[in-house]
Amino acid sequence: MRSKTGIYIHIPFCVKKCNYCAFLSFEAESSPRSEYTEALCEEIRLRAVETKGRTIDTVYIGGGTPSVLDVSQMRDIIHTVRECYDIKKDTEITIEANPATLGRKDGVTLAKLQAYKYMGINRLSMGVQSMSNDRLHFLGRIHTAENVARDVKLAREKGFANINLDLIFSVPGESIEDALKDLDEIIALNPEHISCYSLQIEEDTPFADMIESGAMTEVPDEEDRETYHAICKRLKDAGYEHYEISNFAKPGYRSRHNSLYWDMSDYIAFGLGASGFVNNNRYKNVSDIEEYMKTVGSGELPVDEIHENTPFDNISEAVFTGLRRQEGISYEDAIAAYGRVCPKDEPVAGAKERFWEIFKEAKDEADEFARNGLLIIDEEGLRLTEQGIDISNAIMALFV
Amino acid sequence: MSYLDNIRNFSIIAHIDHGKSTLADRLIEKTGLVEARDMKEQYLDNMDIERERGITIKLQTTRLKYKANDGQEYTLNLIDTPGHVDFNYEVSRSLAACDGAVLVVDATQGVEAQTLGNVYLALDEDLEILPVLNKMDLDSARPDDARAEIEEIIGLDASEAPEISAKTGQGVDEMLEKLVEVIPPPKGDPDGKLKALIFDSYYDSYKGVIIYTRIFDGKVKRGDIIRMMNTGKNYEVTEVGYCIPSTLPADELKAGEVGYICGSIKQVADARVGDTITLASDPTSEPLKGYKKAQSMVYCGIFPAEGEKYENVKDALEKLQVNDAAFNFEPENSAALGYGYRCGFLGLLHMDVITERLAREFDLDVITTLPSVVYKVVMKDGQVLDIQNPSNLPDPTLIAHIEEPIVKAEIMTPNEYVGSIMSLCQGRRGKMLDMEYLTKTRVQLRYELPLNEVIYDFFDALKSRTRGYASLDYEFIRYQPAKLVKLDILLNRELIDALSTIVPEESAQAKGRGICEKLKDIIPRHQFEVPIQAAIGQKIIARETVRAYRKDVLAKCYGGDVSRKKKLLEKQKAGKKRMRQFGTVTVPQEAFTEVLKLDDAK
Repeated sequence: MRSKTGIYIHIPFCVKKCNYCAFLSFEAESSPRSEYTEALCEEIRLRAVETKGRTIDTVYIGGGTPSVLDVSQMRDIIHTVRECYDIKKDTEITIEANPATLGRKDGVTLAKLQAYKYMGINRLSMGVQSMSNDRLHFLGRIHTAENVARDVKLAREKGFANINLDLIFSVPGESIEDALKDLDEIIALNPEHISCYSLQIEEDTPFADMIESGAMTEVPDEEDRETYHAICKRLKDAGYEHYEISNFAKPGYRSRHNSLYWDMSDYIAFGLGASGFVNNNRYKNVSDIEEYMKTVGSGELPVDEIHENTPFDNISEAVFTGLRRQEGISYEDAIAAYGRVCPKDEPVAGAKERFWEIFKEAKDEADEFARNGLLIIDEEGLRLTEQGIDISNAIMALFV
Repeated sequence: MSYLDNIRNFSIIAHIDHGKSTLADRLIEKTGLVEARDMKEQYLDNMDIERERGITIKLQTTRLKYKANDGQEYTLNLIDTPGHVDFNYEVSRSLAACDGAVLVVDATQGVEAQTLGNVYLALDEDLEILPVLNKMDLDSARPDDARAEIEEIIGLDASEAPEISAKTGQGVDEMLEKLVEVIPPPKGDPDGKLKALIFDSYYDSYKGVIIYTRIFDGKVKRGDIIRMMNTGKNYEVTEVGYCIPSTLPADELKAGEVGYICGSIKQVADARVGDTITLASDPTSEPLKGYKKAQSMVYCGIFPAEGEKYENVKDALEKLQVNDAAFNFEPENSAALGYGYRCGFLGLLHMDVITERLAREFDLDVITTLPSVVYKVVMKDGQVLDIQNPSNLPDPTLIAHIEEPIVKAEIMTPNEYVGSIMSLCQGRRGKMLDMEYLTKTRVQLRYELPLNEVIYDFFDALKSRTRGYASLDYEFIRYQPAKLVKLDILLNRELIDALSTIVPEESAQAKGRGICEKLKDIIPRHQFEVPIQAAIGQKIIARETVRAYRKDVLAKCYGGDVSRKKKLLEKQKAGKKRMRQFGTVTVPQEAFTEVLKLDDAK
C-alpha cells in the first residue's frame, strides 16, 4: 500500500537480561556499544540508497534497552536518520526506556530525558512489567516500583506527553488480584498508553529451565484468560480503548508505529536481527553481532533472509495482522493488500465477494467461529470478539 | 572334471547389522562384474527403506568370478536373503537354492536369536556352513568369545573361522579361498528333466516378471514352454541369463547354475517363490519340496488421508502387489474413514515397509489403522469365519467361541534382563516353554505368545527394556481358543469404527483406559469438551475428557516480525491438515496407529 513508512531501530543491549527474555540482547557493560552505533548509522546510510527521502511517519527505537546507550550515541543515530529521511515535526518518535536506566542520579536522568526531548523523541515506552518489588525481582528486572513512579514523574516534568507503560501478567505465583493491583497502580500513574502481555515462556531462558526442572509451574490457561479479561474490563472502565490484542490507549494516543505493522505499511528496520518490510519485500537482518558489524563495515547490507511477498502473502498478512486490531480487517483493505494498492487511492469493487473467493476453503470454519461468538463477519469485513482473542491463532491460521 | 566343480552357490546369513550387506558389497567389488565406481553403498539393498533400516526385504542375487589359489576360476553365485522374521519362508527358499552359506557373526556382539534362527533354516536345507567373524577392525572385537559362542550355542566348529572386516576388506581374500574349499559344488544332471526352483521374482515393466532361479536338473533356453508345477500355468520363455546383478542374457541355463528366466508373466503372484519350473513338453515327475502359499498374518486398513484420492491409493497398491506376492488387499468401507483397503501382510515389518513405500515412492498421504491378526470365529451353528477386521465381528450372542493365532517366540538376551522380559511376556499373555542358559551370560527364553500381543509394540518394548540387547524370532504354530471381546471407542459419543480392536476380556478394562488416556494426549483441544469413551457392547468401561481450549493467542507480535508469526500460523494450519474430521471432532491421523502403543512398563 505504501501509504505510510515507519522506521524501526534495534539496540541489542541491556544492563542485565531478564529471566523470561529470549530476545537478542547482550549485557551492555561488556558489549561494543560504540562500534555497534557506528555500524548502525552506516546501515541507515546504506539502506537509504533505496529509500532516501521518504517521509517517515514513525520512528521506533526498541531493544534490548535503547536507553543504555550514551546520549551521544543516541544523538548520532537520530541524526543519521534525519540526514537520510524526511522527519516531520509530528513524526512519532518512540524510545523504549527501562526504569533505572535513565541514570542513577536524578540529575543524570533529567539530563538524558532532556536530551531525548531535544532530539525530537516525543514518546516514551517504559518496561514497567510489575509494580510489586518481589515480582520484579523474580522476573529478573533491575528496577523497583519506586523507580517507575519517579521516572514517570520526571518524564512528565520534562514534557513527555505520550507515555506507554508495559505490564506482564500471569507470572507464576501471581493471583488475579495481584495482577489487578499492579494494573491499578499503573493506571494511577496516568499513562496515555498501556500494553499488557501474559508471560510467555520462551525456549532457552532461565524460566524455561525452571519449568523443565519442575521448580516453577506455568499459570493455567483458564486463569490466564480470566486475568486477561479482567484487565480488559478494568482498563475500559478507566477510559482506555482496547484497540489491539495487547494494547490499550486513551483516545487519540494509539501507537502509530505499532499500527503500521498491522496495516501492511512499509517499515524500514535497522540493526541486529531486525525485521523490515520495504517495497513488498520482507527481510531480516543477521543475528550475529560480529557478522553484522563486519558486513556493514564492508559496505554490504547485513541481510540474512529476504522474501518477496506474493499477492497471497500480502492478503494473508493483512488479514492476520488486521485481526489483531479492534476494528479488524475490512474486505477492501484485504483486497487492496492483495493488489498492493492504497485503499484510499483506488476503491475496490466487489471486495467482499473477491475476499471469500480467495478464502473459500476457510469459509465454513470461519462461519463456525462466528456462530460460536468468537468472530464477527459482516458486510465490511471480519473482526475478533474479546472471547475470540483467546483463540485468535486458530482463527488466523484459517487465512495463511 | 565337470563344469559343476567350478560353481559355488551360497548365501550370506547374519543377524541384522552384523554386516551382511557390507560383506556382499566387498565381494561384488572384489570379484563382481560391476565397476566399483558404479556401486551404491550396499548394492544388494536397493530400496531406500532397506538401506535406511539396514535390512534386506527384496532379494538380489549376483554372479561373481573368483580366481582361486589353485589356479582355477570359479563362478560364485551369491544369493541374497531377506533379513527379518516376517520373511522366513522367503529365506528358506533362497537357502534351498544354495549349497552352502557364509554365516557372518559380529565379533563385537556374538550370536543373536536371529543368527540362530537363520542357521537352523540353513541346516534344514542341509547346507555347509562357513562361519566368519566380522568387524575385526573395531577395538571392541572379541573374536575368541564369538568363536566360543558359535561352538557352544550353534555347535559349529569355528576354530578356523576367517577373521574379516567387511568394511575395510581385511581378510576377505582368505575368506574366499576358504569358501571355495568348504562349500561343495552343486550336483545335478544337465541332461535330465528340467527342475528349477523359483527363489525370487520381481516385475520389470519391459520384460514382465523376472524369475530368479536355481536349476537343479536339465536345461532351459529361449523358446521353451515352461510350466509352474504348483500353479499349473505355462509360459513361453522369452529370455534367460545371469544376474550380475543386472540381467545379462545367455543362451541357456543348465543344472547347477543360477540365473533368471523371463516369459511375459504379468504379476509376481504367477511365479510364486518356492514353485518348481519344468518343461511343459517333458515334465519332471515330482516338484521340489517346500512350496508354501503366502499367508497374511497381519492386516490393517489403508485409507486415503484428507485430500488424497482413492484412485491414487488403489493405483499404488496395485503396483506394489505386482511385485510382492505376499501382499494382498481388498476394498473396505469404514464409517469413520470412508473408502479404503483392507491389506494383508506377512508381519508388522512387511506392513511398515509397504506403508512407507506408499508415502515415499508414490508420495501418498494415507491413514493406516490398527493392525489386526486373523481370528477364527466359531459360530453356534458350527460355521467358522475368518475375521481380521474388528468391525466385522458378528453379534457376540451368535458366537460359540473365538480362536486366535499363537506364535512361538525365541528371545535371546543377556541374563540381567531375564526378569524384565519375563514380566513383559507375562503381561502379554505369554506362556513360558523353557529357558536355557546358552552361555554363562546369555539366555534363551522360549514363549508361546498370542500374535496379537506381538504385533503392536512388543518389539519396541523388548528393545527398550533390554537397552536394545535382546533379539526376537517367532513363528506361527497354531490357533487356540481365547476369551476375546470387541473394544469400541466413542468420540463425542460417536463410535469410530476404525478405532475398534479385539482384545482379551481380562485386559479390556486396562486397554480401554490406556487407549482413552492416549487419545486424550493425541486429540487437540476443541472449542468444546470432547468425551472419549471405551465401550464393550453398550457398556462404557473407561472415559476421559479433552477439555475445551481456552488459550491460543500470541500476545506480542515482536518488533514487527510478521514473518515469524506467519510461520507459526502456517505450521498450525499444516498440523490441522494432518487431522481427520469426525462430525465435529478433529483427530490427528497418527491416532489410528499410535493409539495402541501402550508399553505396559510406562
